[in-house]
Amino acid sequence: MQTVSSLLDKEWYERYKAISRLNIRSSIYDVTNQCNLRCKGCFFFSSDEHKAAPEEMAIARWEAFVEREQVRGVNLAILIGGEPTLHLDRVEAFYKRLPTFCATNGLIKVPRDRFPDMMVGISLWGDEADEKLLRGRDAFAVSSRNYAGDPYTYYLYTITPRQIGRTEKAIRRIAEAGFKVHMQLLSNDEGVEGFSWTDSQLADIRAEMDAMLDRYPGAVISCRYYHEIITTGRMLGRPFGWMECPSVTEPMDDRQPQPKRLIRFIRWAADLETMHRCCTSATRDCTTCKDGAAHMSWVMVNKRAHMGSARDLQNWIEVYEMFAKLYRFIPW
Amino acid sequence: MPESNEIRELILRIAGIVIEELKLEEITPEKFDPNMDLVDELGVDSMDLATVALVLQDEYGVFIDEDDYPKLKNVRLIAEYLQSRLHGAKG
Repeated sequence: MQTVSSLLDKEWYERYKAISRLNIRSSIYDVTNQCNLRCKGCFFFSSDEHKAAPEEMAIARWEAFVEREQVRGVNLAILIGGEPTLHLDRVEAFYKRLPTFCATNGLIKVPRDRFPDMMVGISLWGDEADEKLLRGRDAFAVSSRNYAGDPYTYYLYTITPRQIGRTEKAIRRIAEAGFKVHMQLLSNDEGVEGFSWTDSQLADIRAEMDAMLDRYPGAVISCRYYHEIITTGRMLGRPFGWMECPSVTEPMDDRQPQPKRLIRFIRWAADLETMHRCCTSATRDCTTCKDGAAHMSWVMVNKRAHMGSARDLQNWIEVYEMFAKLYRFIPW
Repeated sequence: MPESNEIRELILRIAGIVIEELKLEEITPEKFDPNMDLVDELGVDSMDLATVALVLQDEYGVFIDEDDYPKLKNVRLIAEYLQSRLHGAKG
């Protein structure tokens, strides 16, 4: 019988024990249906999720809702939108009650006197040219000024196929500005020409992501196994897809057989009653979904499947550590 | 203090359920170390524990609250927990 300590040496075993009991219970919240950008390829708008439910306007109802979420066992609130910073009172309702992560485009600075240690993930869609094409402006120029020197901020760099051979420019720009960066891949929900991945492009970008990790180890929060999983869409020979995805809203999950999944996960719309099917667009083809958190979670919930060899278990540890770092359950 | 027959039987049954539900190979309930840490050694996660808890619930009619999972670190502790709940339920 394989045991963890029989597979790992002392150093890896200590790393395992540092994360093995974290029991992260996340849920995702649409803080608002509004945004101050309209990015091509943003699933929230392209799949009309901003019309799924009206926004709850009363802050007292937000506060009561978050308290119910606490009782439900959530220990990580992931705030998305729309743009959460358009409604800082709602963000505060979470931050005062739960470990909170706020995804933002960075155009509005989260005031650190109100949110001293809230993790902020700033979206980035490429270099200046891609940002202008997909988002209408170079958002990095603004966000990097807003968050200069902020230790609780990192960039979530969504790589597009057009960036093959050019990712270093974006990574260097982030590293030189003193930030950390995590990479994921664009899921081309709106079918923008030239932004859908081919197999050879995925192989190329995997090599490039590996190279960025090697060249910028102080800035890039990632690991090779994550690059393999997200570019190949395969884990231990199994293909990613609806029947494997861990990030499905629990009360809406009637899959049989039930895959390993995030416990108590719900993605809530901004009326605080409506639930979305999963962490991203319900209209997306799951077989081509490139959502980074879903792929990380896929690995994380399949721990025992990674106990076939020391290398597999080390891969699992690295992915779990990466996730825990991104949400500050462990230090960078 | 010597182990009671009841605890010994519970340990064997719970070990059997863990082996079956986790599809463990090359191990029998009799050889299963009841003090082995389920998380740190077997790599059990809370979904695995929930599966085991559901089987125990069906078999013994005892609800195991998910908030109690952190206390249930090994098969012996699960057996003792179950025993106390069984006796509590009877009383």
